[in-house]
Order: sequence, then structure tokens, then C-alpha cells
Amino acid sequence: MTDDPRKKRSAAPTEASDAESENERPTVNPPFDVEAFARQASGPSSQRKFSPEAPTQRPPPPGALPSFEGGDTRAQQITLTDEAELEAARVASTMRSEPPPGRPSALSIADARSPSSGTHTAVVPPRSVTPTSIEAAVLGAIGSSAGPEITERTIDDPAAEMRERFSLGDYTGALEMSELILAEEADNLEAAECGENCRSVLEQMYAARLGPLERVPMVVVPRTQMRWLSMDHRAGFILSLIDGSSSVDLILDVCGMPKLDALRILQELVQQKIVAFR
Amino acid sequence: MEKVIGIDLGTTNSCVAIVENGVPTVIPNRGGYKTTPSMVAVTEAGKRLVGHIAKRQAITNAENTVYAAKRLIGRKWSSPQVKNAVATSSYRIVEGPHADVRIVLREKEYGVPEISAMVLQEMKLIAEDYLGEGVTKAVITVPAYFNDNQRQATKDAGEIAGLDVIRIINEPTSAALSYGFGKNVEKTIAVYDFGGGTFDISILEIGSSAVFKVIATAGDTFLGGEDVDARIIDWLVQGFKEEHAIDLRQDRMALQRLKDAAEKAKCELSSVRETEVNLPFIISSGRNEALHLQRTIDRKTLEELSADLIERTVDICKQTLADAHLEKEDIEEVVLVGGMTRMPRIQQAVADFFEREPCKGVHPDESVALGAGIQGSALTDDKQEMVLLDVTPHALGIMTQGGYFEELIPQNTTVPTHRTKIFTTSRESQTAVKIVVMQGESERAEDNELLGEFILTGLRRAPKGTVEIEVTFEINADGIVSVHAKDLETGKEQSIEVTASSGLTRDEIKDMLEGAKDYMVERRSTEEFEAAKQEAERIVGEIERLFPQVEQIVAASDFGRDAIEKARAIVTKARAAIAKRDVAAVKAEIEGLSRTHRMFKGVVAKTH
Repeated sequence: MTDDPRKKRSAAPTEASDAESENERPTVNPPFDVEAFARQASGPSSQRKFSPEAPTQRPPPPGALPSFEGGDTRAQQITLTDEAELEAARVASTMRSEPPPGRPSALSIADARSPSSGTHTAVVPPRSVTPTSIEAAVLGAIGSSAGPEITERTIDDPAAEMRERFSLGDYTGALEMSELILAEEADNLEAAECGENCRSVLEQMYAARLGPLERVPMVVVPRTQMRWLSMDHRAGFILSLIDGSSSVDLILDVCGMPKLDALRILQELVQQKIVAFR
Repeated sequence: MEKVIGIDLGTTNSCVAIVENGVPTVIPNRGGYKTTPSMVAVTEAGKRLVGHIAKRQAITNAENTVYAAKRLIGRKWSSPQVKNAVATSSYRIVEGPHADVRIVLREKEYGVPEISAMVLQEMKLIAEDYLGEGVTKAVITVPAYFNDNQRQATKDAGEIAGLDVIRIINEPTSAALSYGFGKNVEKTIAVYDFGGGTFDISILEIGSSAVFKVIATAGDTFLGGEDVDARIIDWLVQGFKEEHAIDLRQDRMALQRLKDAAEKAKCELSSVRETEVNLPFIISSGRNEALHLQRTIDRKTLEELSADLIERTVDICKQTLADAHLEKEDIEEVVLVGGMTRMPRIQQAVADFFEREPCKGVHPDESVALGAGIQGSALTDDKQEMVLLDVTPHALGIMTQGGYFEELIPQNTTVPTHRTKIFTTSRESQTAVKIVVMQGESERAEDNELLGEFILTGLRRAPKGTVEIEVTFEINADGIVSVHAKDLETGKEQSIEVTASSGLTRDEIKDMLEGAKDYMVERRSTEEFEAAKQEAERIVGEIERLFPQVEQIVAASDFGRDAIEKARAIVTKARAAIAKRDVAAVKAEIEGLSRTHRMFKGVVAKTH
């Protein structure tokens, strides 16, 4: 149980139920050499800028590494060699952001997040403690079903956290942080750019796992058994669009959801063997 | 001889037909459906969706999905129908530069004819795919009550779509044509048209020499099958609310599913007595548990839910007969048109009102398009005698003292024509008169459509009613209306020429036409690439499946290894062509891939 580094992740209990499904996004191996990328990303942060182009499947060239202005130089270099280490690094980064003793409660944190608070303190959105099906598939292991270990934490510098997560290849985490920043500061270009890049990488990851988007998915679970499946209404909606003649591309066009969410749900449905391709 | 297609450009659905070897035929779209929703949408990615695809996302992308554009076509921004649409539509309607109507989709403004052109373009494509050749000529149907501007706007839409609209005909006339095709009918008939978005009742006289005359027409442009769907949705939402205390209307995804399910249930209840609405995972509760909607609806419930809507159609029929000074007995046949007329309760209501069984000989969804197809064929085939006469859809006249409308050219007058009437001054010492040219059937001028106005000056000062002014209305063969006013005493004359306008200028139409052409080129090339890509990928898949077996069989020889290397190179080249989206290269590679595939199959077959 404790072998799985993800067990050390924390989540806010009161927000978990609603946001959980939203945040059940995978954290996966980035589609390039993580080690090299992390090394690059930990260089002098003041010179780093996001590439305007959507991230590709290859690591950015040395001169055009995704970077952020004003980021803290990380005290410790983390070298990642596999998924478990990647996750452990993520946890380590989270641990570094743990609030000092005597930090405010969830209520005061919520206050702090409100625009009127005037502080830059942010709360990390709750993350799923147990892996989602996708995470399980990607990381190749499903931990025990023990309940989550719940703590709360604040992040003093969400922008730095975002940069760090991005540099570690934790695009889901970086995206969450960028959304958090944008919620409070809608015109933050750096967060917008980072969010855009994260979305693009994650979309590519999900799309790659789904295969050619012209393929036509089919529901393979009998209609009578469908209601016994475990999924939310968004997945139910995507499922309702799968009619045996519409391609993934078409479903993405008509579902009205952000492409990333739709791809994630479709991928989950395939993973759970609710949907298959012709 | 070039084929002429007939298009029923409906408020909610459109249909295209042709006459093939003397048989009128409706052309199915790629999905196999004979009707295509008249919906246009633009996705977040800027992709244009038309038809069924647009309909499937109509609620989740409501702000960027146009439906019922026909209610707006050719109307002025100030018209009450436009005001109504602005208040009730989910998409944004704004005023155009010529007091016309524009629709905003993803921050881009479109003219209403431009939107209708997208639907027409889709219908053109459907016909072209079916015929395997280009189509440029069309007959398009419009409601009998459409005025000249609305007809012109429909013509403009056809032009933007790349169609030469050789004739615009009235929908009830078209349905009657379909009904009378191949028969020698001379009757007074009623066409009861209950479609998805509108209801129309028309009384027609089918005379000798194939003259179809619309005696009376009326309807409700905001009454249709969608209202029945809405009642079913209300019923489902209410039931769910009672059970779970959750309002499904608050969730767009749930509402989209409800809309689809309601329409499906409505259609099913025309042939079965009860049906189940089963929508698993319709919404998540506050505790994040997914809830399911499962309810059975029977025909009786549907009839109760829609009783008042059906009653409204009967009331309109009653009023129309009264306006036309006709009795029920004068109607010799009732033709049912529109998908809603499949509903048994509606058929019963029509039979009860007209005291005769309605004719079910024409297809409710297809008859209007078939009639247009028949007309199109007749216009190009000299052997066919049946030709509809061009008539004025509405009466033409001028406004007189007290805000009344004085008719000069009655409705359904065959064009070209001209009529003259003498008017006098209404005030003492009046030296000028304003001639306000209008179109419509109402006695009140304000209820009719303003076509134009001009002033005749220099009249002799005289007591009221003594100066005589001759007003002449003339409609030429092209449908252009000229109005002349002449002071009979002095001979002074003034005139105006009224040309119907869709609200778009020639330059705008030209630009839109270019845009539509570009879109078509892009679409055709994408389709071509996708078809080639699929074919190439299919063969690559087959080759890769055979690779291990072929390698095992021939790898021992130099020749075999060489062949395998060559095969791999061909597959790599094909993949590169696909990645570059180079349609010509992909097509070229298909040949090599096919050869390799044949060779591999041969090798494997020989060893078995």
C-alpha cells in the first residue's frame, strides 16, 4: 500500500466529491525524454518562456524550452527514470508546498482564494488520491481500495507550482494550477499559455491512446446492463452519442464539451471496455 | 439534358427530389435519411456543421446553432416576426446594414440567405453524390404566404449555394402536384401541412390545363412538431423532478438527450401504443451519484399533452375556410403533409373537421420536394405538358385615407399583368399625394408589407375629391412591379419600380457565393483525402497483418528479403503521404500498396 507513492497525495475532503471526476485526469509519462526536459527546466528560470506553438511529441529544443518568468530556482534536482519516480517527484513537490504549522483552515483558505482577499495564497484543487482507471492503466498498478489520506494544504506561489509541475511533466497538475491562477487573474498570460500547452499535450496523449480519430466507436455493453456501470452523467452523455456510425472526430465535434474532457472520457470508456472500435 | 432538382427548404427539415425515368424520387442523404435537418452550426474549432450533425449538438452548442432560419428569411429587422425570434432564439440575431437581419455565429455575422444557402448546398451535395454529376438547376418551394422579398431571399440563397433557381413554387401547390401526378384531377383540395416548426393550411383549386390556384392559405409559423416534443420534455422533466428533486433543464447535456428522446418517442407513438424513454446517467446528484431516467409513455398521454396544439390547427382550418367563403363540403380532398400528420390523433382530428377521411396517398415528408422535382422536370422536358403558371403570391395595392389598403392586383393573378384605378384627393387644396405601395391581404395597411413609396406633386389646388389621379400597377414577366401615378388634368406623372430584395446587395451575394465555393472546394478535397487515406490505411493494415507470414516464407532467399524491404518502403512512403495530407501522393501510393498486398496474398496462398 505504502509502496504506491500516490498514496501520499493529499486532497481536501469537502471538495472532493464534485471536483473529483473533473480532476480524474491521468498523469502520464510525457511524450519526450523527461529526464532531459526536467534538467533543462530547472535551469535559470528568468530566461525561460513558453513556446507559442502547441507542444509536440518531442522535447522542445534547448533554446525553446517551456519556461516561466520569475520562477524559483529549485533547490533540488529531481531526476526521473520511470513513472513511479515521476509520481514520487510530484508528491515531493507537493510536500515542499505543505503549509507551515498553524496555517488557516479550509474556510479561511476559501476566503483567501476570493478576489477580495488580496493575497496570492491559493488552495490546490482536490486531486484524486486513488488512481483513476486511466492512471491505473498507465502506471500499471492499482493500489488498495483503502480510503484516501486527507489533509489540506495551501500553495503560496501557484505560478511557481505551475511551472514546476509543467517541468516535471505533470501536465494535469500544471493545468489545474493554471486554471486556479486564471480564476483569480483572468488576464494572466503566463497561466493562459501554460494551460493551453498542457491541454494540447494532454489532448495529444489521449488522442494517441484512442488511435485514429476517424474510427467509429461502438458501445459493447448491453443496454440492459448499462445502468449498472460506474460512470458520471458526462460519460453517460458521451455514451449517448456513440451510435455505431459516428466517428470519434464527429463525437468530439458534437458533444459540446472541451475537447480534452471528451477525449479523456472516451479514453476511459475504452479503457473500461464499455466502448470498443470496429 | 441536365437534371433539375426539387428542394423543399423546410423550417426544420429539408428534402431533395428528382424525376428519374419518369418517376419522382426522393434522394437520401449519406446517413440514409430522406430528410435533412435545416440546421447549421459552427463548432468551437470553427468547423461548419449542417443537418443531422448540427441537430445533435443543437442544445449543447445552442448559441452557435441556427434553426428555423426560414422564419427570418427576407424579413426586415423591424418586423414583428423578427422581434419574436430575437426574444426566443438561442442564437444571436442582429440588425444588418440594410435594415435586414443577420445571425452571429462565433463572432461572425451571416446573412439569413447565407445560412439557408448552407442548407441548400448540403441538399445540392446530396443530389450530386446520388447522381454522380454536378447539379446547377433547382426548383425551390416556399410557403404560399411568402412575399416577394422572402421569395427573392430564397432565390439569393440558391444563388449563393451555386444553384440557378429556375422557379420558386408554393409548398401546398407542390404537394398538390405530387398528389395529382399521373392523375387527371380537377378538384378543390385542402393541404393540411403540419411540419416540425410550422403549420399551414391551404385551399387549392386544381383546374383543367394543370392550373393550380391557391384560393386561401393561413397558418402559424410558431406551431409544429417541436412544440409536441417540448410537451413530452416537460412531462419527463416534471416526473424526474418529482422523483429526484432535480431540474434536468439546468443541464444542457441532459436537455439535449431529452430532446432527442422526446422526438424519438413521439415518432414511435405513431405506430405503437407505448414506448420507453430510457436515458441512463442522465445527471449526477449532489452526492455525485449518477441518476437514470426511465419512463414509459403511451399514446394516450401524448394525445393529452398535445390536445390543445391539435385544436389550434383545427381552429386555423375553420378560420381559413370562413375567409375563403367555403364550406367543408366544398373541399373534395384533404391531403396530409408534414411529419406530424403521421400522428393518429391528428388524422382523426382532420377527418372529424372536414368530415372526410384524409388522403394518405402522398408521403408526408416527401410530397413537397417530389412536387418540386416534378415541376423541375416539367420545366426542362418539352414532352411534359404540366406547367405551373406564375402568379402573384399576394395582392398589390396602395394605402388610402384612414390607413386602409386598396387592392389593385389581386392575389394569384397570373403575371405579366397590369391594372389601373382612379383615386382622388382627400383634403381641400391638396397639391401633393403620397403613393404608398403595399403587398398583402389585410384591409388594414399596417398589416401589409411596405414595398415602396413616392410623392406626386404639382396637383391643382381644388376642393377635395375633385382632382383625379390615375394609379397603374404593372408586373412584367420577371416579376418586377412598376407603379405609375398620373394627374389626369395636368398629365404630370411620377413612378416607382419595386424590385424584391432579400436585404443583401449584389456585392454581398457575390462575396458569399465566393465563400461558399471556397468552402466546397475545401470540403471536397478533405473528403477526397479522407477516402484515399482510409483506403491506404486499410491496405497497410492488411499488408502488416501478412508481414510475419511472408517473412517466414521468403526471408530465406535474397529475393524474398529484397521484396520485404521494398514492401516496407512502400508502406513507409504511404504513411508519409498520409502524414503530409497529400491526396495525390496517397492516391499514387494506393497502387503500390495494392500490388504489394496482392503479392503477399499470393505468397501466403501458395504455401497453404
